[in-house]
Amino acid sequence: MRVASTDYAVVADGLVKRYGERRVVDGVDLTVPKGMIYGVLGPNGAGKTTTLRMTLGIIEPDEGARTLLDGAHPRDVGDRVGYLPEERGLYPSMKAREAVAFMGALRGLDWQTGRARAAEMLEAAGLGHAIDEKIRKLSKGMAQLVQLLGAVVHRPDLLVLDEPFSGLDPVNQERLEALILAERDRGATILFSTHVMQHAQRLCDRLAVIAGGQRRFEGTVDEARALLPQQVHYVPSHGDAQLATMLPPTARREAEGWRFALPQEGIEGLLRRLIDAGYGIKGLSIERPGLHDAFVRIVGQAVPEAKA
Amino acid sequence: MSPLHRQIRQTLTIARRDFTATVFTPIFLLFLFAPVIMTSFGAIGGMGAASVTQGSADKSRLVAMLPEGSAAVVRAADAQLRPLVRGDATPPPLTLHPAVRSAPNVARAMLDAHETDVNAVLYGTLAQPVIAYGTANRADARYLAAVARQAALLQRAGAATPDVRMERIATTAPTVGGRNAAAFFAVFGIFFLTLFLSGQVVGTMAEERNNKVIEILAAAVPLESVFLGKLLGMYGVAMLFVAFWGTVLSQIGMLLPGDVGADIRQLRPAIGLLPFAVLFAAYFTTAFLLLGSVFLGVGAQAATMREVQMLSLPITIIQVAMFGLASSAVSHPGSALTTASELFPLSSPFAMAGRAASGAQWWPHLAALAWQLLWVAVFITIGARLFRRGVLQSGSAKPAWKRLFARR
Repeated sequence: MRVASTDYAVVADGLVKRYGERRVVDGVDLTVPKGMIYGVLGPNGAGKTTTLRMTLGIIEPDEGARTLLDGAHPRDVGDRVGYLPEERGLYPSMKAREAVAFMGALRGLDWQTGRARAAEMLEAAGLGHAIDEKIRKLSKGMAQLVQLLGAVVHRPDLLVLDEPFSGLDPVNQERLEALILAERDRGATILFSTHVMQHAQRLCDRLAVIAGGQRRFEGTVDEARALLPQQVHYVPSHGDAQLATMLPPTARREAEGWRFALPQEGIEGLLRRLIDAGYGIKGLSIERPGLHDAFVRIVGQAVPEAKA
Repeated sequence: MSPLHRQIRQTLTIARRDFTATVFTPIFLLFLFAPVIMTSFGAIGGMGAASVTQGSADKSRLVAMLPEGSAAVVRAADAQLRPLVRGDATPPPLTLHPAVRSAPNVARAMLDAHETDVNAVLYGTLAQPVIAYGTANRADARYLAAVARQAALLQRAGAATPDVRMERIATTAPTVGGRNAAAFFAVFGIFFLTLFLSGQVVGTMAEERNNKVIEILAAAVPLESVFLGKLLGMYGVAMLFVAFWGTVLSQIGMLLPGDVGADIRQLRPAIGLLPFAVLFAAYFTTAFLLLGSVFLGVGAQAATMREVQMLSLPITIIQVAMFGLASSAVSHPGSALTTASELFPLSSPFAMAGRAASGAQWWPHLAALAWQLLWVAVFITIGARLFRRGVLQSGSAKPAWKRLFARR
């Protein structure tokens, strides 16, 4: 794959990483357009973190190449990148404000500005009371928020978040979603990994699904959902053992009614036959499949391939 | 199972885990054989120190410049008196020279000579003997005076003992003993300071690994900068330590008796006292950075605090080894051993500090400092690369030293 890098915040081309004999990442391509929220989805152990680490230049790929922000090597644009790693880490003896300013300083922000911004951001994030508290005294969620603020205090053009929602309670998850959207509105590109589909579905402009070290899908959320046919949820007025024989073979029983993929020829003929047979219609809905179903389908296909 | 039995079993389970986790590591082998290696290096160091002292002693002399007829009685008097003085007080050998016309000037020149240490000179006649001696050699001068008196008695039995005129001469040239003392002081001083201070570096990466901060640092800053930054941070700590204790000890020194001060004044480096102090500081810096960069790289591979603690003994051994090598080298100036220890990066600061005491040239020091700083860069680069490959790759990747011992 060859892509002009000027319109993209991230261009990764055929990244490969081997640990011993195992190819943990096996030829992954990523092209993240500027100004977008881009999700990297995948099950545990899919190679998401390794891909992000290679993208950021923390480790070198065995094969392939990557550039950030107008074709630069990751090391050359470190000051324009923010990063929240999967394994959260802060110095326990640092105060919250100092921790945020320290992470800004690592990215080229001067201490004075960093401290001032840190205070503002902590206040805005509801951590005003903890500005001068040591990290060891903060709860896990609060410390995680401090680290996230540290990742954006220098106002990066590219923000990379590895499993940012893990370990956060629902309130803090909402705060984080708001912060990601605010960063996007500021003009930053956000690249984040997750295996929680709800966040990806709500936030992502585009996404890639990685499984078994390979990219299995790339596109918008709608394109991912379009991989599966629409789902019919049918609740009969009354049913018996014969009803199942009239439904498509993929139909599965749910607590109330049945669920099956919308037949290619449409639903009308099937409904007519069910009414004629006396089962009636108590409830009927036709739903687009969620990202969760699409993800399960993509990953489910990938697992047998990987085993083969 | 009784509660006591259960508690014992639980205790032994913990003990078993800790024992196997400690013993079945390659680092344990270093720990196990550390005393053997340490004893060897200690012996080398001891021999080095001994030969420094011996080297100084071999070059010390007493000189008698008397008319030809007096030589035999002076030699006889020396032979009679020398066995009476033992141990550390044993005077250096007595050399006889024929009398010269300008004896006071010659005596002064002898006392001020670079090549050998003439501690005291007897000149004049046995009837009117004069002893010229260096500032720090009063005991040798007294011995020579006793020899003069005894010789006079042997020459003219029954006569009164002559009055011996004593002349203390302020010498300007660094004596061989003073140079050797300064050399050993330099080597030992840097060894002592780095022994205390550079070993602290070994565990500094453990904090980042335990707190998971390393990922943040590695993403934002080149690992080489992380390593160098940590090294310089610890160097700052070391300098604070040295400044504090230097100030304290200098104040204590002012309260010490005069004799101790006189002993310190015996340190007469060939390059001069102020340049020697500057070079001492420079070589302490490079010794700290060199050993620190090696320890930092090795310590960064340690996965647990236990491994970090076990590394402290091999680290001490390396330091003692460098001390042994350098102190042997300063006692054999110009030898292949000296050249090797001046070139070998880890011993170079010690050996070159010793050289500052015995040689007056500047350019070897400038070259050595550049050479040592180059190796600091090399060690930091290697340490950072090993860390990147061995530790940062993934949680399951084994450190480099583990891969070295791993079964295929």
